[in-house]
Amino acid sequence: MSAVSTGTEAAADRQAERKWRRRGLVALAILLPLTLAETSYDSVREWLRGEDLVAREVAFGQSVPFGGSDWKLADLRGGKAGRLPGGAFAVIATFTVTIGDPDLQKQWLGCKLMLTDAAGRRWLPDFISGVSLPEGTMNCTSAIFSGARKGDTVTVGDIFIVPQDAVKTIRPAVGLSGERPWYLRFQRPPK
Amino acid sequence: MFATARSKIQTWITAGAGTIAALFVAGLMGAFGALPAHAPPQLSPDAAIEAGRWRLQPVRAYVSHARVYGVALKPGQKALVLEVDMTNRTAQSDKGYFNVFTPEGIALPDPSPMIALVRDSTLTPELHPGMTERMAYVWPLAGDAAVPANLAFAVTAEIFKPHDNLYGTPGWYNPYRLGTVTLPVADLPEGGQPQSGQSGSGS
Amino acid sequence: MRIRVLGNLAILCATVALSYGMQVTKPHYAELTAPVPIDGAMHDTVRARSFDVRLDKVIFARRLKTDQFGQEKLLTTSGLWAVVTTNLTAVGTSTTVADGTWQGPTGLRYHQTERLGYRQDMPPHGVDPGLDKRGLFVFEVPPDQIRGARLLISARQFGPLDAQARISLDGLTIGADGQPAGILPEFDLDAPPSQGKS
Repeated sequence: MSAVSTGTEAAADRQAERKWRRRGLVALAILLPLTLAETSYDSVREWLRGEDLVAREVAFGQSVPFGGSDWKLADLRGGKAGRLPGGAFAVIATFTVTIGDPDLQKQWLGCKLMLTDAAGRRWLPDFISGVSLPEGTMNCTSAIFSGARKGDTVTVGDIFIVPQDAVKTIRPAVGLSGERPWYLRFQRPPK
Repeated sequence: MFATARSKIQTWITAGAGTIAALFVAGLMGAFGALPAHAPPQLSPDAAIEAGRWRLQPVRAYVSHARVYGVALKPGQKALVLEVDMTNRTAQSDKGYFNVFTPEGIALPDPSPMIALVRDSTLTPELHPGMTERMAYVWPLAGDAAVPANLAFAVTAEIFKPHDNLYGTPGWYNPYRLGTVTLPVADLPEGGQPQSGQSGSGS
Repeated sequence: MRIRVLGNLAILCATVALSYGMQVTKPHYAELTAPVPIDGAMHDTVRARSFDVRLDKVIFARRLKTDQFGQEKLLTTSGLWAVVTTNLTAVGTSTTVADGTWQGPTGLRYHQTERLGYRQDMPPHGVDPGLDKRGLFVFEVPPDQIRGARLLISARQFGPLDAQARISLDGLTIGADGQPAGILPEFDLDAPPSQGKS
């Protein structure tokens, strides 16, 4: 660079440079958080899709659309049955589901029946030797492949093992991949 | 003006020299690559072979006409069996021994063998650090396949990388031909039971 | 002017030193994503992220007897069989605990045996919150890898950043010959769980 510019030009240059430097800093403050948000967006979405985070409360007797079908709690019963560890109860939860969208392989993907208690603990279905589902009740997987059509009513349920201290407050819940992070939590049947 | 022209010429010369040097080295390397590769060395069947993760002591090879170590054969098939004492030389349990041996010069319907623990015919168990176990490699063969009296098995080893190039995790990579080990192949008639208690060298 | 040059030089040197130091001490990906260890002792409840585990007892045997599809099998080993009985509970949600490793005193890792096939009391253990579950982990270990060993229990075999319970096996009685005391000639996995002692 040859020094041919006059003093005033140099001062103007410096001022312009300072201005741009300031603009750059401001842009950084905006762009950095945006970049973070953009790069983490997919992971956050993926994580939300996999977690049953937000409960939609359902009163007993109420039927709620979920994953293209209408879900209603049919029955929740517990007791000592089969071969159970000490202090444990067998619980069977069943739902009456009226099929809306018959593409269950897509709509019911990741179907998960659970029990939750007042402390927020969750129980997933278990196998108990000597205990089987009531006649005509299917678990999620067999319901998906049952070939149920639009308008059909199917009974979906599963068996759980729950400790004695949780039996009083357990509530059945249902999660589906397409609806996550929302899931249905049902009020217990009145005693 | 002249100054910039001169520097331009200098730049051209420098870049040109670099390119020529690169081409020269690449040509040399290509020429070396075209040289006939060294034949893999013959390994002695009587000494333990250190092959990457594994220390190998071949015990014997034979052809079986019946079910061997729990590996069922299709009707009309026979099986080439190689028994080896294998020791895991690494610090953790491992089962990466599937490609260690390859029989050479015979046609295999399926190149991947069934590998069983001789002790109780467990298929492809993990082998634990420093615990030598006798393993049987079983390759099913067509019933009329000719098996030479002395068969060469290629031994493949891998190198250990403390940090692999993608994730920086330790592991065994870059399989290479360590050598070949030649063993006599006995022919066990139908119903002949392999005697797994026998130990020693490969004869 | 001179001070400015010297100052710049000092900053440059400091930057080079700092960068070099950071490069040398940079943890590798495998270390950054390694399981998070949670240490504990025998008979203590160790709280991992998704499950609690308590090591109840360890039995050493030369042979294992097991029932496989109605057939009795006697399993031998070139070392010793270590049958570890644990008590497992899920913390918040029903889950599985699938991975056990016996880590010898020098860091050699003996993964749980794969020779037993499917058994109800073998991993993966399905565990529920609030319910105790007796879970076995069975290892083949050389006798010299028992003194000073640790048991590593985690939910999955490759669980980056997940918890790994690390239970030190210092409660074992080991004889003068380095072998554990009370090695059983044979242990029946299907016998009621009272046989043997810790």
